[in-house]
Amino acid sequence: MIFSELYSAYYNAVAGVLKEAADHPVTARELRRIAEREAFGESSMRIEQALMDEEWQLLRKDGTTPIRHVPTMPLTILQRRWLKAVMLDPRIQLFTDDIPDDPEVEPLFWPEDVCVFDRYLDGDPYEDAEYIRHFRMILEAVRTKEPLEIMLLNRKKRTVRMTIVPEYLEYSEKDDKFRLIGKGNRFGNVINLGRIVACRKYDGTVTTEREETVKDRHREVELELWDRRNALERALLHFAHFEKEAEKIETDHYRLRIRYDKDDETEMVIRILSFGPMVKVVSPDSFAELIKERLIRQKRCGL
Amino acid sequence: MAYSELIKSFSRIRDYMREFYVYGFKSRTEYTKKSARSYDDERRRLESWLGDYMQFRQTGDGKQVFLSIDSRVSHHNPFYKAWKTKSFTDGDITLHFILMDILYTPEIRLSVPQIMEGIDGYLASFEEPKVFDESTVRKKLKEYVSEGILETEKQGRTILYSRAQDRELCDPVILDFFSEVSPLGVVGSYLHDKTREHEEYFAFKHHYITGAMDSEILYTLFQAMQEKRTVSIRTVNRRWERESENELIPLRIMISVQSGRQYVMAYNPRFDRISSYRTDNIVSVRTGEVSGRYDELREALSKMQKHLWGVSTQGSSGQFLEHISFTVTYGPDEEHIHQRLEREKRCGTVVKLGPDRSRFSADVYDASELIPWIRTFICRITAFECSNGKLEKRFLDDIREMYALYGLEGGDAQ
Repeated sequence: MIFSELYSAYYNAVAGVLKEAADHPVTARELRRIAEREAFGESSMRIEQALMDEEWQLLRKDGTTPIRHVPTMPLTILQRRWLKAVMLDPRIQLFTDDIPDDPEVEPLFWPEDVCVFDRYLDGDPYEDAEYIRHFRMILEAVRTKEPLEIMLLNRKKRTVRMTIVPEYLEYSEKDDKFRLIGKGNRFGNVINLGRIVACRKYDGTVTTEREETVKDRHREVELELWDRRNALERALLHFAHFEKEAEKIETDHYRLRIRYDKDDETEMVIRILSFGPMVKVVSPDSFAELIKERLIRQKRCGL
Repeated sequence: MAYSELIKSFSRIRDYMREFYVYGFKSRTEYTKKSARSYDDERRRLESWLGDYMQFRQTGDGKQVFLSIDSRVSHHNPFYKAWKTKSFTDGDITLHFILMDILYTPEIRLSVPQIMEGIDGYLASFEEPKVFDESTVRKKLKEYVSEGILETEKQGRTILYSRAQDRELCDPVILDFFSEVSPLGVVGSYLHDKTREHEEYFAFKHHYITGAMDSEILYTLFQAMQEKRTVSIRTVNRRWERESENELIPLRIMISVQSGRQYVMAYNPRFDRISSYRTDNIVSVRTGEVSGRYDELREALSKMQKHLWGVSTQGSSGQFLEHISFTVTYGPDEEHIHQRLEREKRCGTVVKLGPDRSRFSADVYDASELIPWIRTFICRITAFECSNGKLEKRFLDDIREMYALYGLEGGDAQ
């Protein structure tokens, strides 16, 4: 069963409480803190009450427990089958050479059971030994926050050298590419891993001044949408991964506000164009101008 | 019944999550036609689980609740929390921790009477000790054997129970990544809960998280596919608020990373054809008999996929295959446009017609599925043709309507 109390936040919270109780009598305050960490907004009161009132007979009134060992649970078959399916994914090679096998279970699904049909075709080469080496070195540098020296092929096919303090790796399922996000690189703080030709630890110092945060880069576009040909549902699902707000103006007429990263403006322009006359940009004017400019150029093409 | 943060079944909350996250413009009165109390309870639950993402807006129609999540910023799918809310009885949780403690290592093998005796020992120190009857304990043991956390072994006529072997868990970083990008990632999240908290190393762009709500449906479909079984699915048409039931042979799960939608491609014997069914429109799935036609139908689907742009296996023209082509123009420093065609095409061919022009063409079951993609090339489309005449006309009309929408309808472009 996928929806089971065995995986519930309450069981996890109680396991956390019993772990402490195996070591020392648990106080009510401690119990609440664990429940707040492991479960939800309203959970701690319920968990405290159920344990303290002995509805769940696991903790005595003095905070001790009859449970003798730190609570653990073996992996369920569901978990083992999911892990087995993951181990068949080519991207697993990025993380380990030692792919464990669990011969007693079948994978939850086989690679051929699933088809991602709209992923771009020039994804990163996950089976390329050099790419794997770079990925692992970068992941390690993300862990340690140690600077890297990277040689990269730029768009003009020229090799460029750069230094960067790694922060995290960003993966796009649509592009099927990893990007390193870092600080202190004068050429920009986003590096496509697929373009890297060489990568090594950098012993020098990389200066990192205050740089733009995700919030600094946020922009907002406001759209009007006419719900013809199921445009409302299509647009709301298509833009679902952004912070957004939808509002009904009148029957079949809606307003949408979407927050996006300013670096992705061109991508936003073409994504909005894909909805044709069902969607119109109403603000900001600068964004509406980008759409207009494309339409003017299209008109010149003679269609 | 008194309000509880935990739930017995996922189906009702699934609808509310979808409404609040995908739509988010309905007021309380639009939800409360059936039951005001149900709305208030579900909203309160979601606020408890996902309070950080919940927002409110007051309008003339009343208070509107919506979930707003930037999935590029959150390292883990927030909807996984909802899967950790299954309700249980006082007996379930008490018995769980006691059983796991009695059988704390795989070397301990005990019969039911021995386990019963052990349980009583644990409960004796409470003021009013619970009493578990043997059938309850047997039922729980059987459940845990089927989940794989306990094992059985026969000694003469006695069944002995023991804990399953503990297995080393992989690097939590693997779980961080695959719980977000692999189907049924919620299972990865369950595993993740077993690991220690650590710093986050991954973020996800273009990351759709809605599929998490359909995990139970997807799980049952995968189960049926592994066993080559038929399924009976109940689907809802939200626009017309109608439900229907279909007997199918599920063949493959199709996932869109540009909309987050998930579909099952399945053979429907009633219409003798392979079609797609959106998993978020599936209300329930029941597995049926083993089908002898599974391999043959799956092979047929694989052949069909050469002519599928998305998931539609039938266009509006009635033609078996529809032909579609368009030509784009670009400047000397815009070679990336040709690359875009190559990179983004899912079937069909791209031909370079000259240094500044490329043409894409394809024969597909449903040419209308390509239209949104073709529109992304607006500003450089010099020719567009489709064997479905109505579709061709509509595409061209739409472009003209877009000119009008932005006040560009009159005269030649400057």
